[in-house]
Parts: sequence; C-alpha cells; structure tokens
Amino acid sequence: MTASDLWVLAQAAAISLLMALAAIAFGTLLAVALTPLAFAPWALGRAIYRLYIFVVRGMPVLLLALLVFYALASFWGRISPYAAGIVVLTLYLAALIAEVFRGGVLAIPRPLWDCAKSLGLPRLSILRRVVSPLVARYALPPYLNVCVMAVKASSVLSIISVWELTLASREIIERTLDVYRVLAVAALFYFIMCFAIDRLGRNLESRLAARGFAGERL
Amino acid sequence: MIELRGIRKSFAGVEILRGIDLSIGAGEIVALIGRSGCGKTTLLRCINFLEDYDAGEIKLDGEVLWYRADGTGGRRRCPEKDLARQRQRMGIVFQQFNLFPHMTALENVCLGPRFGQKLAADAAELRARELLSRVGLADRLNSYPAHLSGGQQQRVAIARALAMKPQVLLLDEITSALDPELVAEVEDVIRALTQEGIAMVLVTHAMSFAREIAHRIAYLADGQIAEIGPPQEVLDRPRDKGLREFLRRIR
Repeated sequence: MTASDLWVLAQAAAISLLMALAAIAFGTLLAVALTPLAFAPWALGRAIYRLYIFVVRGMPVLLLALLVFYALASFWGRISPYAAGIVVLTLYLAALIAEVFRGGVLAIPRPLWDCAKSLGLPRLSILRRVVSPLVARYALPPYLNVCVMAVKASSVLSIISVWELTLASREIIERTLDVYRVLAVAALFYFIMCFAIDRLGRNLESRLAARGFAGERL
Repeated sequence: MIELRGIRKSFAGVEILRGIDLSIGAGEIVALIGRSGCGKTTLLRCINFLEDYDAGEIKLDGEVLWYRADGTGGRRRCPEKDLARQRQRMGIVFQQFNLFPHMTALENVCLGPRFGQKLAADAAELRARELLSRVGLADRLNSYPAHLSGGQQQRVAIARALAMKPQVLLLDEITSALDPELVAEVEDVIRALTQEGIAMVLVTHAMSFAREIAHRIAYLADGQIAEIGPPQEVLDRPRDKGLREFLRRIR
C-alpha cells in the first residue's frame, strides 16, 4: 500500500462521511414529520407510522439498498447511485430516529403535560415550547448513537456501486493483495469519523447541561 | 363563584367521587382534607379538567365549564381552544413543583402569559419579574430549576400559576414534598396571598395551616363531602365519626 492509496482511502472516507451526514439531515427531517403520526388521534395515522417502522426496520439495510436502487432505476431509468444511496440511508435512519423521538416524547413526565395544559397553552405552543425542547434533551444520547450507526451503515452502499470507503478498500485490496493493512486503515478511518461524531455530541450534551438540561430531579 | 354539582368520577370501575356538591365564593378559601385515597386530589384535578369526570357540572361565574350539552341529553367535551381559555382562569400548583426543567424561573413564569394569553414579550416579562419578586425570588430570575431548592422551586410554581391572573388558585399538597424547614417560606407566600382576595382550594395535610387560612374546611370520605364548615367547627367539634377518628390519628 502506497501513500497514494492512503490518499485515495481518505477521499473515499470523506464520501462516506458526506453520504452519512446528508442522510442524517434528511432522515432527521423525515423523522420530525413521522413522530407526530405515532401519537395521532386517528388510527390511520398511527397505522401508517407502525407500518413504516415495521417495514424499514424489519429489513436488512443491504436489502433495502438493492430494493430502493432498482425501484428508483426502473422508475427513472438511470439514476446516480449516490442519490439512491442517500435515499436509502435517509429512509433507514428516519425509522430509527423517529423511534428515538417517540421514546423522548414518552419520557416526558405526565405532570409536565398537566402543567402545560393547566397554563392554557394552545397545542402548538405546548409542542414548540415544552415538548420539542424536552424531547431534544431526552433523545440526544440515543440520537447520537444512530448518527454513529449511520456512518457505518454507509458501507452497505458499496453494493449499489457507491464509491465510498468500503468499496475503495476492496479495489485497493484486489490490486495490491495487502488485505490486512488496507482493512486496518479503513477501520481507522471509520473509527475517526465515529469518534468525531461522538465528541461533537458529548460537547453538545454538556453545553445543554449548563443550561439546566441535566442534573435536576423531576 | 365556583359551583360544583354532583361530580362523579370512577377509575377502572371504582367510584372515587360519588356526587360532590360544593360552592366557593369569590375570595373564599376552602381546604379539602381526608385520608389518602379519599379523592381530594382527584376532585381538585377535576376542577380544572386535568381529570375528566363522569357526571356533574362545574360552573365558574355562571359559565358551565369543560363540557357542553350535545342537544340529545348527553354532553360533549368543549373544543381544545375553549378548554385552554377556561383553564387560564384557574391556576394550579402541584405537590412536586413540576417546573419546566429547560427554562429559567423567569421563562417558566412568562410561558403562560406569553403563549397562553398572547401577551407581548416585554409585558409578560414585566409581570413575571413582579411576581417573582413578590415570592422573594427577585435575585433568582435566571436560575434553572435544577439550581433552586425545593422551597424556591415551589415559589416559582406559585408565581407561574399567578401569572395568568387566575380567579381561583388550586393548591395540591404544595408543602408535602418539602423539607420541614422549607415549608414556612411557601406557607408565608400563600398567607400573603390571602390578603388579596383570590379564591383558593387547597388539598392539605397541614391542619394548623388549614385552620389558619381557610374559611371553610371540607372533610372528604368515601367520595363524598362528609362534613364541611368553619375550621373551629370541623376541627374542634367534629360531628362525623370518621372525621373524629381521622383527626385523632393525625394528631
């Protein structure tokens, strides 16, 4: 393995990270739209939510990747594997993040709901001023967990020919037969990316804690 | 001013309230006492509809609250909007303070006026500052609940309830969760409020405090008001056998 191989791996790692970050962003938006469905007053809304979670979470990401890629391709003809890859990861992460948010809503102590109601706040204000900030705080640790998973899950996209860290590693291995060193370097890159996300998250957690977000008894 | 008529409520087939009738005048202070599980907290929560009730009627200044007749002899919950508006006329303080942990004392108190009553931000803040200094917390405006003692948190909670300028204040065992040395500071705040003519309904186990501030004391047993009257009568010359037993036991 040469220095230029290392540079190639670094570029591939950047692509993995970008794919993951894009999917985290879109997946979070989709989850924000999905979570209220879980608490919808109409049974249809709750059923749609459960079905989505059941299907997406119950399927290996690899299978989901193939399914989405071929489905999109048959619909639009040739499509960029990168676009398809972001769609796949977005759908997958949205299911995980929606469940994380749902857990956050369930973690809000009932007395705080009572309080919000007793102040005569309209529903939208309760959602914006009370529920959202509390969910953000309860959901942050499991949310970061999902973000770390997203980086690793991006490796699956090599199956639909997204050129990212795992695919690039395989190419170099096939050329150089330097299996262990290449894989070790790839693993190191994954580790660095996950570690960075984890650091960033903990930083955010402690900053929120300074604003009354942790340490109190409810 | 507040009128409760025939309030009934069951939980899972067990009837907790079996027809409560109670009228509370403007500025009147009524204490609810009774064994734990007798339904006093449930009754309090029914008054501002944190708990729905199976039958009966609650009126505030002649306006029927929470339910509307549906025209076929039944009733229907008022729409959310009306519920919110009606709730703004009452304040409630809970045993466990229940401040919003992500907001400072000031933000907790501002929340209702700002987003419930749609007051301008500066007007809401002015009102909140004034109330917080009235409960002795002018120097803790920007503290988060986590950094306040139980007594301070409860005083913020009282200020938050008062911020809506309610006609009635509902107090649910507000000193029960406090360390003994912090009880007095919360009781002092309530004592000061009695001078302002705001009506109060308080659920309490603190008999001497109830005797001091309440105009009437109601003893609940088996989901009904078994005895009601001025403190001197109810506490010193109880007629009800269960009440005599209850008073003997808590002394």
